[in-house]
Parts: sequence; structure tokens; C-alpha cells
Amino acid sequence: MIVSPQLLILGAAVIGAGVLGSVFRRAGGRTPVGMALGAAGGALGSLLFMAPLDYCTFEAERETLDVIFGMLLVVAGMALVLAPASWISERLIRRQSLISESQITTGTFKHWWLAFPLLLPTLTILVLFLYYPSVETLRLSTKLSRLGARREVSVCMDNFTRLVHDAEYLDIVGRTLWISAVIVVLSMALSLLIATMAYLPVRGASIYRVLLVWPYAISPAVAGIIFLLMFNPAGGIINHLTGQWFGVKLGWLNDPKVAPWTVILASVWKSMGFNILFYIAGLQNVPKDLIEAGAIDGAGVLRRFWHIVWPMLSPTTFFLIVTNLTYAFFETYATIDYLTPGGGPLKSTTTMMYQVVQLGIRNNDMGKAAAQSIVLFLLVIGLTLLLFRSGERRVTYGV
Amino acid sequence: MKKLVFAALMFALVLALAVPASTIQAQDRTRVDVWIAFQDYRLDWTNEKAAEFNEMFPQYEVVITGGFSYEAVFAQVAVAAEQNQLPAVVQFFEAGTQDARDSGLFKPIADALAGRTEINGLPVDLEDFVAPVIAYYTLDGKFTSMPWNTSSSIMFSNMNFLRAAGIETPPATWGEIDAACEKIMALDNAPEYCWTFPNHGWFFEQWLAQQNALYVNNDNGRSARATEVAFNSEAGLAILKWLDDQYNKGYLYYSGAQGGDSWVTVDQSYQTQQVAMAVYSSSDTTLYTQMGLDNGFETVASFYPYNDETGWTGNLIGGATLWLVDGLDPEVEEGALTFLVYLTNTENAADWHKLTGYIAIRESANRLLEEEGWFDENPNQTVAARQLSESTVTPATSGALVGGFPAIRNVVTAAIDRVLLTDDDPAAVLEQAAADANLIIEEYNLLNAP
Repeated sequence: MIVSPQLLILGAAVIGAGVLGSVFRRAGGRTPVGMALGAAGGALGSLLFMAPLDYCTFEAERETLDVIFGMLLVVAGMALVLAPASWISERLIRRQSLISESQITTGTFKHWWLAFPLLLPTLTILVLFLYYPSVETLRLSTKLSRLGARREVSVCMDNFTRLVHDAEYLDIVGRTLWISAVIVVLSMALSLLIATMAYLPVRGASIYRVLLVWPYAISPAVAGIIFLLMFNPAGGIINHLTGQWFGVKLGWLNDPKVAPWTVILASVWKSMGFNILFYIAGLQNVPKDLIEAGAIDGAGVLRRFWHIVWPMLSPTTFFLIVTNLTYAFFETYATIDYLTPGGGPLKSTTTMMYQVVQLGIRNNDMGKAAAQSIVLFLLVIGLTLLLFRSGERRVTYGV
Repeated sequence: MKKLVFAALMFALVLALAVPASTIQAQDRTRVDVWIAFQDYRLDWTNEKAAEFNEMFPQYEVVITGGFSYEAVFAQVAVAAEQNQLPAVVQFFEAGTQDARDSGLFKPIADALAGRTEINGLPVDLEDFVAPVIAYYTLDGKFTSMPWNTSSSIMFSNMNFLRAAGIETPPATWGEIDAACEKIMALDNAPEYCWTFPNHGWFFEQWLAQQNALYVNNDNGRSARATEVAFNSEAGLAILKWLDDQYNKGYLYYSGAQGGDSWVTVDQSYQTQQVAMAVYSSSDTTLYTQMGLDNGFETVASFYPYNDETGWTGNLIGGATLWLVDGLDPEVEEGALTFLVYLTNTENAADWHKLTGYIAIRESANRLLEEEGWFDENPNQTVAARQLSESTVTPATSGALVGGFPAIRNVVTAAIDRVLLTDDDPAAVLEQAAADANLIIEEYNLLNAP
């Protein structure tokens, strides 16, 4: 062992005592109690990941990278325990409610325990389909594991550390980011344009609106098949037309430079219906008198849009960015799989999500797939947090 | 009123939960579940045979379930095994052989038959199967799984293009393909590309076997457990270089699809006459011959083209066999065995061959077809069987047995993809592929070796 477990626990306890002790002092509680609680919490937190891993990252033959990962896990475990602990104790000491103040609670249950049976159905589903699989994924990510195999082997953090050196994986991460970004931007920009036009008072507007939302009702797999038929290099209508009109036939599905764009096109088309729906609803909420006032003051169409409509739409835009990002990261799988099964020439359409399925299902390599799915999960969480931090300030929720 | 509807719905729900589905249907028949990897006309045929069987043996109820592809069924079985939900019989492709063997989930057919020469009145004759099939599926000296659909890789040529270019017989070697393509692509109404192939690992394996080169060590995993790949040899490199050369010359069409997804892309480009020739599995000989008839050209099947410089040793078999799950109830096992024997009897073997192009797996079926004059009328249908019977049996042409084979195939097809689409050095790409494949084997053996 490079670092002894006892020393780690001791260090964690000291840090925990410091953190919670200072929280208690600031809030006006009794500092020694805080320090005692903090020491226990810090020690427990450091064990959160390290106990199941049996401190394998600190074994003598491990590399520096493993040790760094180990330290990060210790810190993460401590944070997971100490952060809620200090938040709760601060509120308790100051006698504040544990429920956020922005939520106005108008009624309370007659019996406090009544909440739990009511929550039971939801909790059951969450435990079965979310919490248990998540814990299992965490466990699998530290193993070498195959379905149907005789045994499982622990590999510590190898499934993660090898990703750091894996040029192909870093390529996939980069590709996922740019493909997702293009899908979100393109889909939302086009949707806003179309929604603005569909909102114009024209005859039969509701018919147009229904037709525009239609693609959203189609499953991603069907979208993939529709585009596969159109972009098929042998006998697809797109190449037939471009061949006739311009004398060019692009390798829509088998050219590594073009294939990602075909996937983007299909995904954008697929997600636009959803975005248009929300933008039309958003446009209906823009007060007419504001626009009229702008018009009377002599503002042109573009100026009215930029200074009145766009800011009023910002909550919708913000909501759509988050949902579209999730769509681009996770739900494009089926579209990719039908258009370019196997992840495209030179893996040009292999996104992180796609790679997870390839590894786990096609190659039956559950451990590496689990590790990659955790990386993907952390990435999306990080991006969403970043969006909420930077985006929310620019969002206007009222006039 | 609303309350009444609600109560009725709740009652229906409780009823549905309380009465297990099994008690609703009559349960005096032994149910035998069979999972196969087809969902097209081959599934229809199998369903027909199962219906015939169920009529003949009313004590059994064989239920066939079709799957999307070999790879998908392979993955499905791993999950089913984990949950103890295995059917009685599973169809596994040749690449799944080692995994199936290591899993301990299956019982060798020979053990289940225990030397009987008839079962439920149906005669059993395992020696009647053709030699390459017996060779591939006899493991540890035991007949292990029931042969069903066996094929070899062959080539289909659109004779309209070949004749227009002055070529009367399809090219037999790599060099002849190159020469033929030069002429075909010079035609006024030349096809878009000269030829194509499914980028499926099996075709690389075929070209390797033809050159009498091994895919994995220890005599292709037949004398001892394979621990490393052997395809990173001169022979393997020759394949990559040749494909790269054909692609760079604009002769070879590559659809970008890999593995089990590549078949359909070749079907499309051959059918639409985007290419003049296609290497493919003999499994679809009937379909490819018909494609020509439907589109106004003649399809001629020929041996799989080989490397002129190293000559031709022989080709591998491919396809799949039916594995009997171990630990079944005795009646279920008996029913499953009886169905396997029925499905592969002489008449059905001949019928299956006519429908698809998989070789007739029984000598007696071949004699029957010969007497009927089928082979005289359908020369394309004889190619795969002739290619296999003329093959010299060596460890190389017996095919590889290696764990994690499906994953290794993905590595190989990715290497071919890279060689075709980039300027990377084929030798370096092949070495990288070998390293990746070796890791798969190492990890597989670590987890699965008994």
C-alpha cells in the first residue's frame, strides 16, 4: 500500500471535523458536537467507495493515475456525506424548514406517515428501475464481466484509467460533443423559424401545426428507417435525384465525412416536432400588447423579435436546450443504429451512448460498458449543471 | 357508473394476475421452445415444419421463436441463461461454438441420444451427415450440436456484365478478378462498381483458410484452447492489401456496414446492378439466382476467389447448428431431440437446401436431389457443396474455435474498414487488430476457461 487505509480514514475524519465544526460555529451551534459529527461523517464518506473497492487503488503495484483516481473517489465520497450533512445541520440549528422556501406549502398531512404509502408506488419503481441498476452499474464498472461467464474478476479502476489513454475513446467523446451540439443548435434554430412562420395568422394554420409536430410522434427507429430508404446508396431517392440534377452521388452512409451529417439530419428532423410544439406554445404566451406597443413605437419586425419575442421565449429556449441535449446524447441511438449499423465507417457516427451498447451487447463486455456509461452520465450531469448555472441568469420568467 | 367501471377493471386486473397464463391453455402437451436466428422465409419454413411435427406427435408442442440475427440471439441466450429462462433448443452460429462449449449450458447430441438408432420411431443416423459438417461440430470426439444450416462463401456474377466484357466464366482468383474488373469498368454501360463483399469477419476467415493460414494458435484452437490470434501473418496482410488495392482502384464497393448488418447492403447493390459481382454466403443462392431472373440477368455462382500466389487449400463451412440445452425435463429433452431429428431428416434437408441454398447436409439428401435431377437444373446450387468436398481438411480449413469470437470479428471488420477508408499502413492496422483481439481472448479465457 502506498497510503495506509487507517491514515486515510484519520485524514478524512480530521477534514470532516473541520468542515462541520466551522459550519456549526457559523450557525451558532455547539462546535464540539459539529466536530464529532463531522469526524464520523468524513470517515464514513471516505469509506463509501473505498470499502467496496478494498483500497485497491493504493496497492503498491498501481500507477500514479490509479492513486489520483483513488484520492478523487475518497474526496467524492466525503463530499457526498458532508455536503448534505452540513446543509441539514445548518438549517436545523437556525430552525429553518428543511423544505425550500420558494415552495409554498399550503397544506399538511393529518398524519406524517401518510406520505410514505402515497410515495410507495413511485419509490418502488425508482428503486427497481433506477437505483438498483445504478448501483449495479457502479459495481460492474470495477469488474471484468461477461454475461454467461463462469466468474467475474475485479479490475479496480482499470476500466476507467484505460480510457484516459485510449485515443479512440477520446475521439468518440469529441465526436459526441460536436454531433450533439450541432443537433441541438440546428434543430432549435430551424424549429424557432418554422414556429414563427406557423404562428402567423394564415388560413389553415392548425393543419400546418399538426403536420409539423408529426415527426415527433414517430419513433427514432422509424425515423432511421425512413432516412435509410431515402439515403440508401443503392436505389435511394436522394442519390437518384442528386445524380440526375447535379451528377453527384454522395456516400451518405458509407463516407466517414458525410455519414455523421446524415445522422444529424435525421435526428434534427426527428426532434423538430417537439421543439416547434413548445415554441408555438411559447409564442402564444408573448403578450400581444407588448408587440403592438413596439410596433407603434416604430420597431421593425426583426427589432420586435429580438427585443421582445426572443427574451420572452427564453424560458422555453432554456428548457429546450436541456431536453434537446439529453435527446442528442441518449435518444439518437436507434437512429444511428438503423442508418449506420455498427457505428458507421471509421466509427464516424459512434457516439458515447452507441459505444456503450456496442461494448456491452455486441461484445458482451459488461465491465467496460458500465464504466463508459458512468463517464457519459457524469458528463451529461456536468453539462446540465453548467447550463443551469450559466443559463438561468439570462432567462426572463416574467415581464 | 364510474365506480362500477373502476370496480370491473380492478376485478379484471386481479383475475389476470391470479390466473397464470399457462392454466388457460390446455396443458397436456409438453412444450418445447426453440429459438432460431431467422425472421424471414426461413422462419416461415421452420414454423411449417414445427406444425407438421406437432401434428405427427400430439404429445409435443414445438414453439419456434425467430430472432433478428445470429449475433442478437447469441446475446439473448447469455441474458436468458443468467435468468434461467433458456428454451430447449438454441440456434448458434459457428462463431459461437467455443462460447457455447465453455458455457456448460448445453448437452452434446451424442450424449442425449446415448447410442439410440431411433427416437419416437424416427430413425437416427448421424453418420449420414456430410464430412465437413461432422468435422466442424465433433468436439472432444463427440457429436455436439445438430447441424442444420451449413453454407460456404461463394461468388455470384451478373453474366450480362461479364459477357459484355468478353468474359465467359467468372474469375476464380484475385488476379482474375482484377483483370475482369478492368474490362468490366471499361464498358460503356459499366456498373457503378465492379464487385462488393459483406464486411463480415467470416469472409476474412475464408480468405485466410484458402491460403492454409491459421486464425488463432493451437491449430485454430482445435488441439488446445486458443490463447492468441494468428491472423496477423503474411496471409492476413495479403488480404488487407488486396482489398485496399481493389478499393483504391474503384473496383470494390464498400457499403460501410459491418458484421451482421452488412448482408443486406450487398443484396441491394447486387439486385440493383450497382455491381457486377458479389462474394456472399451460399445460404442465399436461391435468392440471388432469382434476383437475376427478376431483373433480367443471369446469375452464375462460382467458387470463392483465392490468392493466386498462395493457391487454394480449401474453404470453411459457416452457418449455424442447433444446441440442446442441458438439464431439461426428460420429456422436454426427448421432444426436443425428436424435433431435431425430424427437422434434419433426408426430405427436410433436401427441401431446406432447395429453399435457401444452404448445402444439403445429408449424403442421402444429396442422393435424393441428384435423382430428382435438381442439381442438373440448378447448377448454382452445387457450387458450395463441391467447394467444400474438394477442400483439403487441415486445421486452417476446419475453422477456428476461440472464445469471444463475435467480438474478435468486430475487431477484424473494423480493421478492414480502416484499411479501406484511410491511408493507414495495412501492416500497422493488422498488428493493432491482433493486439485488440488478443486482449479479448485473454479476458475471455480468464473469465470462462473451466
